Amino acid sequence: MAQTTLQPPPEASSARVLPSRAGRPRRRRNWFVYGLIAPAVTFMVLVHLIPTAGGVVLSFKRLNTFTFARLFDAPWAGLENYRGILFDTANPLHSGFFGAVQNTAVYTFWVVLGTLAGGLAIALLLNRPMRGQRLVRTLMLAPWIVPSFVVAVLWQFMWQSDVGIINKVLVDYTHILSDRPIWLLGGNSMWAIVIPSVWRGLPFAMIFFLAGLQAMPPELHEAAAIDGAGPLRRFRYITLPLLRPLIAVQLLFGVIYATYQFAIPYIMLGSNPGPDADLMMTLIVRQSFSNNLFGFGAAASVLLTLAMCVWVAFWYRAFKRDLEVT
Amino acid sequence: MNRGLDVLTWLVLLLMLSPIIWLVAASLQTDGQLSTGAYNLLEPTFTAFSRMWKTVDFERYMVNSLIICTAAALCATAFASCAGYALARFKFRGATGLSLGVVGTQLIPGSLFLLPVFMGFVWLKQNTPVALFDTHAGMILVYTAFFTPVAIYFMRYFFAAIPRDLEEAAMVDGCTRFGAFVKIVLPAAAPGLVATFVYAFLFAWDELLFVAALTQENAETIPIGIRNFIGNYQERTAQLMAAGVVSTLPVLIAFFATQRWLVKGITAGAVKG
Repeated sequence: MAQTTLQPPPEASSARVLPSRAGRPRRRRNWFVYGLIAPAVTFMVLVHLIPTAGGVVLSFKRLNTFTFARLFDAPWAGLENYRGILFDTANPLHSGFFGAVQNTAVYTFWVVLGTLAGGLAIALLLNRPMRGQRLVRTLMLAPWIVPSFVVAVLWQFMWQSDVGIINKVLVDYTHILSDRPIWLLGGNSMWAIVIPSVWRGLPFAMIFFLAGLQAMPPELHEAAAIDGAGPLRRFRYITLPLLRPLIAVQLLFGVIYATYQFAIPYIMLGSNPGPDADLMMTLIVRQSFSNNLFGFGAAASVLLTLAMCVWVAFWYRAFKRDLEVT
Repeated sequence: MNRGLDVLTWLVLLLMLSPIIWLVAASLQTDGQLSTGAYNLLEPTFTAFSRMWKTVDFERYMVNSLIICTAAALCATAFASCAGYALARFKFRGATGLSLGVVGTQLIPGSLFLLPVFMGFVWLKQNTPVALFDTHAGMILVYTAFFTPVAIYFMRYFFAAIPRDLEEAAMVDGCTRFGAFVKIVLPAAAPGLVATFVYAFLFAWDELLFVAALTQENAETIPIGIRNFIGNYQERTAQLMAAGVVSTLPVLIAFFATQRWLVKGITAGAVKG
């Protein structure tokens, strides 16, 4: 170590020279860098980039039960799939699509709100010295480890209207409800998928916020307390603003993951959950793989991707400042 | 006041864990007890655990999951280490593109590129000797690609936290750049490697959509096993719960064994921005 302090760092400066200025040794070093990223890039191109381009192409094809046998030379449909989804009110797919858009928005809203609010609340609760602190923090993460397909079958069983534990507790033991609600059908089915999704997502949000709370300098709170600010005001004017970048990151990925959630709704409610809880992903997968309407599925997937791009753009404008600070 | 909050904390913990406790408790009942609601938690029985292995071929799903998820997580960690090191240490043409591409992959719904991947696999099967459809190799390839982007973010933060002096000193002592990376930097980033591996493993274990479309018999993983349970054996709830317990155990063990590093990995990026 002593040697390096005497000499200028031999590699660090030249290594960061752009390839346009490359002499021979530098070029070799660039090959080294490209060699490092090559495997990752190859896989991403092969499995993400090329197939995604293929998916966009498929969205302009007329792919249904009849043309599926000759996938590669299925006839072109132009914008037909998109027009059918977006504007053709006579097409049953049209109303199904907008129903699913609405349901997905509702599902995503409640899942993200519940996860972030609950995660923050638990993080605040755990960010205090107490006995068994390490144990509590570790055990609190357990729901996040339970695979989502297990979450789905477990909650499906818990929601059963006659023998499920939830109705047993709500109706038989505590008498909070007088009749046994049917949770997995109709209007309740949205809650039947939102609540387990929130339950599984909470721990992840909780560790995020807990890390943020612990990185916060205690002097700020102490100074505010001396100035007479109560816990609520300190939370509102110190904690919350300092957590903004964390909330931003959580919001960005929370919305994407909730929108693309598939296993929990699909396993809990089946491939056709009915108009009250049919989400974009279940709709697309059902139309593509059960009904062989691959052109519809691809076009709907493209629209979903565009919606996410709009969300990211909106998100970026809203939180740009927070990203620069960190 | 503090005492009240302590009690509240334990109550919240109990509430959070209660579905898991219920999962274990229900798996220790019989199918008949669960379908009639006549639970008797005081008399646990392990019959569901011994039966579930035969009802569906759960062992096969388990072995497939272990092979595919371990291999995919290893590959993703290896590739992400290289790419993450490149992003953490060098400025190069395409670095911004790579970073954006990493985020971009998260924006694409699986339903958009699943069918082309499926078509590609089927085409390869029909026209070449390359076997990817319904094989371990095919699923490993797909999952490696899925979890490499997030793993790159993980590894990038871990490498950025390692002082440059370390590898510079090694190179002064005669190491090549790659030698310094392998011999000095990677060992220093060991906790990050473990965290990245476990993170990818957890997510691969969870994946349902692609494995449902890209496998038929040979390479099916546990989510498919669970789905087959529901499809064919409606009244075997205790066995289904037992299967749930068994399929959670490996990830639970992996998580608790590496918990401290994993949590550090998840939060490192968050706190440093």
